[in-house]
Amino acid sequence: MKVVTGVIGNDIHVVANRLMDLSLNARGYEVFNLGVNTYLEEFFDAAVETGAEILLISSLNGEAEGWGREVKLLKSKYKSLDNLIMMIGGNLTVGSGNAEDIVPRYKNYGFDLVCHQVDLNTGLDMLEDYIKEHQHA
Amino acid sequence: MSNVSDKLLIDIGSTYFKVSTDTSIEQHFRDFNKQILDDLNHKCGETVQRYEPDNIHICSSANGGLSTLIIGLTESYSLKYASNIAFNSGINIIESIVFQNIEDYSIPSDLIDVVIIVGGIDTNGGVFDERLDSYLSKLNYSNVVFVGNSPDAQDLNERIKSLVVLPNIIDDRLHIVEAHLKEYLTNLYQQDIEGKEDIKNLYDITGNQIYSTPYVVNKSLPHINAIFSVTDPFILLDIGGATTDVHYSKDLVSDNIVTEQGHDRIVFKKLGVYKSRQSLVYTAEQNEFAYELLMHLKVTENIYKENSEKATKVIMQLAIFLVLSEMSHYRPSYVTLKLLAMNSIVFTGGITKVLNQKDIEDVVAFFYRKILNSDHKPVTVIDRNYDIWTIGAKEHASCQ
Ligand code: B12
Repeated sequence: MKVVTGVIGNDIHVVANRLMDLSLNARGYEVFNLGVNTYLEEFFDAAVETGAEILLISSLNGEAEGWGREVKLLKSKYKSLDNLIMMIGGNLTVGSGNAEDIVPRYKNYGFDLVCHQVDLNTGLDMLEDYIKEHQHA
Repeated sequence: MSNVSDKLLIDIGSTYFKVSTDTSIEQHFRDFNKQILDDLNHKCGETVQRYEPDNIHICSSANGGLSTLIIGLTESYSLKYASNIAFNSGINIIESIVFQNIEDYSIPSDLIDVVIIVGGIDTNGGVFDERLDSYLSKLNYSNVVFVGNSPDAQDLNERIKSLVVLPNIIDDRLHIVEAHLKEYLTNLYQQDIEGKEDIKNLYDITGNQIYSTPYVVNKSLPHINAIFSVTDPFILLDIGGATTDVHYSKDLVSDNIVTEQGHDRIVFKKLGVYKSRQSLVYTAEQNEFAYELLMHLKVTENIYKENSEKATKVIMQLAIFLVLSEMSHYRPSYVTLKLLAMNSIVFTGGITKVLNQKDIEDVVAFFYRKILNSDHKPVTVIDRNYDIWTIGAKEHASCQ
């Protein structure tokens, strides 16, 4: 499957992004890594150009919240992204916060999978489960 | 570099033409009642006759180049990449269409020289459905080229008459691949220049190929330090009669486009000071700060209707301001340059004959204060003798 990934906004924390690229490749995905400093529109546009099934966004520096609120409106302008699996992970809030609040909020923003401070491999296992579930459905 | 001192360099613009020998440079207003060759012979016949056809090199920007309409899948990749290549090949973009919304766009009535269709990496086919055919059937165009995903290429080749298919300009890592489309467009521009009756006649006096002026100017940019003290990053503004050309250092854009050359080009088709004066005035009327600029220059909007020397000067100052605005965050468009990081700004073309250093610096400072809220002051360099064009042309002549 094709995955578009990268770090959103003006965020330059690159380490997790590199690891993400390696892990996704190792798990057999075809990876389109847009790297750090990527804007929401570029993520969606890359999904359109590649025909990706999955969009996997990282955010580490605390910008995620602001971008999250833009997702629904921007995505509604695209006519071919209805089936795109949307995932986000990293530090999804400024300072500390708890997953019970954060996860439902981001689901409301339009993400299918939300991983606040979840280890990468745990997150990718969740993705695999999600895909399996939805293929059967 | 071989000795080019015995060469005559001629540049034909939409408003002026200029003729450069090793010792002099002449500039003349064109007489539109005459064919360009006659006009040239009339005004500089003696000079021209002193040179063998093989030693005369001509470039032309008359008529402002070819027009294109681009149909692409997304703004960030296909349209952006195709626009970048088109501008760098000297082509003007009439319209960019995001394919998913193609039915919402109106059909331009002008004849389009070349339609560019692009989108999708090679493993993503089936993206251009019959809405494309339907749009094209209503459009008036001379050439059509496909530079998108390879599965669609085969299919479209059967559906669209006279389609030229070139390799995808988007590679499998979503990076730009310029070479093929650039070569195709440059050749098309070349053929167009040569096909123009007016220009064709010029082959009577030259034995060399006639090139497009932007191509020649772009050649000179790596050598600009030989004549001016210009610090990178810089932009070069060539404000012409019909269009305005901007060449800018790549360092001024934070972008997903990674290409090889150090300078890119953008054209503002409707911002010129003679032929496009009306649309320039229109653009000014849409810009809330342009009015303040007029006040700053101590004139009123009535100046637009005047035909005085003063009016020409103001129009040129407006052109500088509007072009800078178009490239700043104030008017989000194809490129936004990091103008606060810009160290030099070079002016060439007709305006250098009309405006002095102070006139220019005044507008540049006004722009930075009003639009960017800053006292930043890039060094202003004025190319009064067309040295930039001369080195580009010489560079070119010596490679042939
Ligand atoms: C190294 C670092 C930097 C370096 C970055 C160098 C570089 N180019 O990468 C520098 C010094 C430049 C830097 C700058 C800043 N940083 Co910093 N930085 C760190 C630090 C110490 C380590 C980050 C790291 O690389 N970790 C290793 C990687 C492997 O782990 P990770 O990033 O946490 O990612 C893991 C998971 O989150 C997960 N993951 C990540 N993405 C995704 C996505 C999905 C889908 C899934 C499932 C999982 C997942 O996978 C990874 C492995 O498990 C962290 C603190 C920390 N200890 O985490 C702060 C930290 C991330 N930075 C922080 C901040 C605030 C900044 C600055 C704003 C500081 C400032 N005021 O200037 C700037 C921001 C610059 C910018 N424009 O982005 C904060 C963010 C706080 C927040 N979100 O509320 C942190 C948490 C420090 C803190 N505790 O305050 N930083």
